[in-house]
Amino acid sequence: MESNDSSSSAGPKPYMNPYVAGVVLGLMLLASFLVLGVGLGASAGIARIGACLQGCILPGHVQGSEYFGSWGTDPLRYYLVYMFAGTLLGGLVSAIVSRRVQPQLERGATAPRRLRILLALVGGVLVGFASRLASGCTSGQALTGGAILATGSLLFLVSVFAGGYATAYFVRRQWQ
Amino acid sequence: MITTFFGSDALGSNGAFLVALMVGFGFGLALELAGFGSSRKLSGIFYFRDMTVLKVMFTAMITAMLGLHLLMAVGMIESDQIYFLPTVYGAQILGGLIFGVGFAMSAWCPGTAAVGVASGRLDAVIFLIGAVVGSVLFNEVYSALVPVYHWGDAGVNFVWAALGIPANVFVLLFACVAVAAFWGAEWTEKKVAGTGAYLGTQFLKTFSIAILVVGVAQAFLPSVNPGGATLTGANAGETSLLAAMEAGEDHIEPEEVADRLMAGDKTLVLVDIRTPAEFAAFHIRGAVNASAAELPQYLAPNKNQGTIVLYSNGMTHPAQARDALARMGFSNAYLLTDGLNGFMRRVLKPASLREAPVPSHPAAKIRAWRLFFLGSPESGVPRQ
Repeated sequence: MESNDSSSSAGPKPYMNPYVAGVVLGLMLLASFLVLGVGLGASAGIARIGACLQGCILPGHVQGSEYFGSWGTDPLRYYLVYMFAGTLLGGLVSAIVSRRVQPQLERGATAPRRLRILLALVGGVLVGFASRLASGCTSGQALTGGAILATGSLLFLVSVFAGGYATAYFVRRQWQ
Repeated sequence: MITTFFGSDALGSNGAFLVALMVGFGFGLALELAGFGSSRKLSGIFYFRDMTVLKVMFTAMITAMLGLHLLMAVGMIESDQIYFLPTVYGAQILGGLIFGVGFAMSAWCPGTAAVGVASGRLDAVIFLIGAVVGSVLFNEVYSALVPVYHWGDAGVNFVWAALGIPANVFVLLFACVAVAAFWGAEWTEKKVAGTGAYLGTQFLKTFSIAILVVGVAQAFLPSVNPGGATLTGANAGETSLLAAMEAGEDHIEPEEVADRLMAGDKTLVLVDIRTPAEFAAFHIRGAVNASAAELPQYLAPNKNQGTIVLYSNGMTHPAQARDALARMGFSNAYLLTDGLNGFMRRVLKPASLREAPVPSHPAAKIRAWRLFFLGSPESGVPRQ
């Protein structure tokens, strides 16, 4: 681009070919296996931020709790917290370069704002809870465990889509 | 051979944190480039209008799977360098179902929501607040959930093993399923939304063939089953133990031990694994006393350095201890042939008392042994 004005006024770049994006993502996962010896993960980073935030308010309670307590006094000193930060940064750089940073509450044209906010919030609570129960999310269980053909991870993946397809019909209004 | 941070127990190091940050960067980049900074696009898979989630996830899974299995088959990375997620049937199925409900409601998952926040999506911010709350909620009810959390714990479990198929055959099958899924996804998009941009294109044909070629190639390589870490790895170890036993590589003759001790060989560590009382009553000069249980720790500095020789009165306990050490990676542990009893008979027994007449040269040697180990060529052999 010669002119910054013309590039900033242009619309977002088209998305990458999904198969090429998938290969890039797969190579990142492979690199993670080869260098770190573990796969990708995102939900653990969120949970540890939760443990840290709760620890700021109720330090004794968090330290004494069975689950968060096992993460020690500094739950943020963990590789998946850094990976989550990296994911945010990588997404930010790509979104800026691709001109896709668009502050908005994404929803259907006629969908009520409150419906979308409620579904995003409740969905978030369920996902946060379920990720801890299953010890991982779509990244840490489905993708990572799927790539090593772990039985439980593949069952997790199947269950996610079973739960998703069973629910999708009832929440379709938000996209209309 | 690759040593990973996990393999060297260094996932908590600053180096690992830096690598994790970089891997995460690439992860976020790929998610954003695929269009996963948009909840509307992500939700497409649940309504069959946009199957990008399936295409990207399945491609990523296949890429990493093929890459990992290929690298393992050629021996570039050993399975003990990788953390294999354990299977907990109940927790993962129940967790998956709840996750799926939340995923369809919010149209975000933890990784994509990070990219959504980076893309300015308010619903991603709300989702993440919810996910933090959900995590805290889990911690609050954890003590009541412990049985569910461990419900159906099956340890490291692979789907190919569960199905009784070799790993490389299953990987090939999985690659075929992926290719079929890609064509099915394009076809679905065409039917439902009139898109399916890659259906029948040269790109998808080439891509499909490439996946199948790599799948077939890895199937022809020797099947190094990942996490055979626990299965084949252990079997290979046992097989080598049996082979070493058969070849007599697991023991050392008393005469050789005697000669080396007399010569002041510092690389030889002779360990008496009998009780301290027995050791105090009599032991081979130069031997040290350690119980079988404390051997791994006691001998750690001598692991794969010099020669470790174990002895007891007989051979059973030292043989068991030697095999245990071999399994722990000690390649230099031996047992004394015929034990202390053999040492008495073959080294310390005076030439005059031996059944067969002893030629003069060995007789001189026996005298020298007796002088060294008993302090006098005339001393009697101690009673046990």
